[in-house]
Amino acid sequence: MIDTVREIETAEGISLRLRAAGALPRAQAWVLDLLLRGVFFLVAMIPLSIFGVAGNGLAMLLLFALMWAYGVVCEVWMDGQTPGKRALGLRVVHADGTPVTWLPSVVRNLLRVVDILPGVYGVGLVSTLVDPHARRLGDIVAGTMVVHARELPPGQQVPAVSALPLPLALSADEQAALVDYAERAGQLTVQRQEELANLLTPLTGLRDTAAIRQLVAHVNWLLGRA
Amino acid sequence: MKQERFVALHGKTWDRLQSWLHALDRQPRRTLRQEQALDFPAEYRRICHHLALARGRGYSHEVTDRLQQLVQHGHRVLYRPPPPRWHRVAMFLLAGFPRLVRAQWRCMALAAVLFYVPALCLLVLLQLRPELAHTLFSSAQLAQFEKMYDPANPHIGRSSGTDLQMFGFYVMNNVGIAFRTFASGLVFGVGAVYVLGANGVLIGGIAGHLTAIGYGGPFWRFVAGHSPFELTALVIAGGAGLHLGLTLLAPGRQRRGPALVAAGWVGAQLALGAFAMLLVAAFIEAYWSSIASLPDPLRFGVAGVLWVLVLAWLWRGGRAVRHGA
Repeated sequence: MIDTVREIETAEGISLRLRAAGALPRAQAWVLDLLLRGVFFLVAMIPLSIFGVAGNGLAMLLLFALMWAYGVVCEVWMDGQTPGKRALGLRVVHADGTPVTWLPSVVRNLLRVVDILPGVYGVGLVSTLVDPHARRLGDIVAGTMVVHARELPPGQQVPAVSALPLPLALSADEQAALVDYAERAGQLTVQRQEELANLLTPLTGLRDTAAIRQLVAHVNWLLGRA
Repeated sequence: MKQERFVALHGKTWDRLQSWLHALDRQPRRTLRQEQALDFPAEYRRICHHLALARGRGYSHEVTDRLQQLVQHGHRVLYRPPPPRWHRVAMFLLAGFPRLVRAQWRCMALAAVLFYVPALCLLVLLQLRPELAHTLFSSAQLAQFEKMYDPANPHIGRSSGTDLQMFGFYVMNNVGIAFRTFASGLVFGVGAVYVLGANGVLIGGIAGHLTAIGYGGPFWRFVAGHSPFELTALVIAGGAGLHLGLTLLAPGRQRRGPALVAAGWVGAQLALGAFAMLLVAAFIEAYWSSIASLPDPLRFGVAGVLWVLVLAWLWRGGRAVRHGA
């Protein structure tokens, strides 16, 4: 399947839609995080250098924290997002869509050691390309995945015109198709809108622009507008 | 029910929840103290119901998308991770971790064999044939070891540096090794086997060489104090890596995916426990082991006590107390 959306049924009986994030935005987020950590370390070195040799020890403790703890702490305390992931609109979640917790975050960040192998994320890249949910090995073992956090741009509203009752009863699917058409018509060329509207000439008895207008009026009736 | 009427009827509820969720993003603590926080679970479930209705009735995306976004946001808030509880960390270190180590005793025993057998073999071998040290290490490395443990040094175990500097170095180096040992176990266990064996050869080789050339005194006095924590933590991290690799090879009566997730869960806890042990080891190594003026009986006495404590902790820690009649 080309679609990377993973639907997860929750205890409330509805489905969450998780859009798996691929290798490219994740690599960008990683580079951002790397730069951020590098800059932070360099800036922190300035006050630490006052302490002389002891400052070296503190600097190594800081380096250790930035190398191993940064990802875990950021992911758990910042809603599944390191600063880099936040900038790219990514989020780490459990496979069931709940926010990531301590142990899975530890697993996925420790197993970076394997994913980062040959070169820069060789194993991780292959794994994200092969896995249907674009998980690297660390994600598979941790039971987590990285998803797009930004919402898709909202669909267009159906233009409001005076409602017109349908001449015959349509099934639920057919009604949904009509509503979808009216919502998306704004994104299509006029020619395509007319071509689609002309398919329903048996229903409307009209063609081209008049057919489009009549379909939108029917949809307004379906939505319950006056 | 027509869509417009549905929105008119419930739109206020959605707006209220949405503004509460946004307020929560901006000021988490204050918003959670509001009375509305008590209603949140019920309100969230009501909106889930609305979403199911909207989908079932084929309402337009305008409504379903909005509800879907609201539900995803609410789901994230309702199932957020609990704040860390410090007494649970203490309980884990005292009871949970030793229990976990005992539960994985096969992997731990295998890791101990993989580490201690080459180390002890080399230690003995280098006493019999000291020239073998030159096949193991380059002469520059040998010179460095000899400088570190020269009996003439004011500090032992290091050529320069203060306590704090060495503490930072030990934490970064040793914990890094332990974490890599665990993680590389995922490669069918090969990584963990290699790191354990290589460290066994390295440590055994250094110990054997220094003992053979007569620098054994400073060396053993230096390593005695922190070895119980450091070597045991390395073996545990390696055992966790072996467990991960063996689960990948032979998941048993589970599918590979869930078996790996379970092994990762266990492995992460073992790695965190090893991390705590290595922090203690680094502290001892930097602040206790390096004091040259300590008398030998005290030094080796403390080391013996620590070995007994570590082994007893791993052997007895977290066992249910038997309530006698």
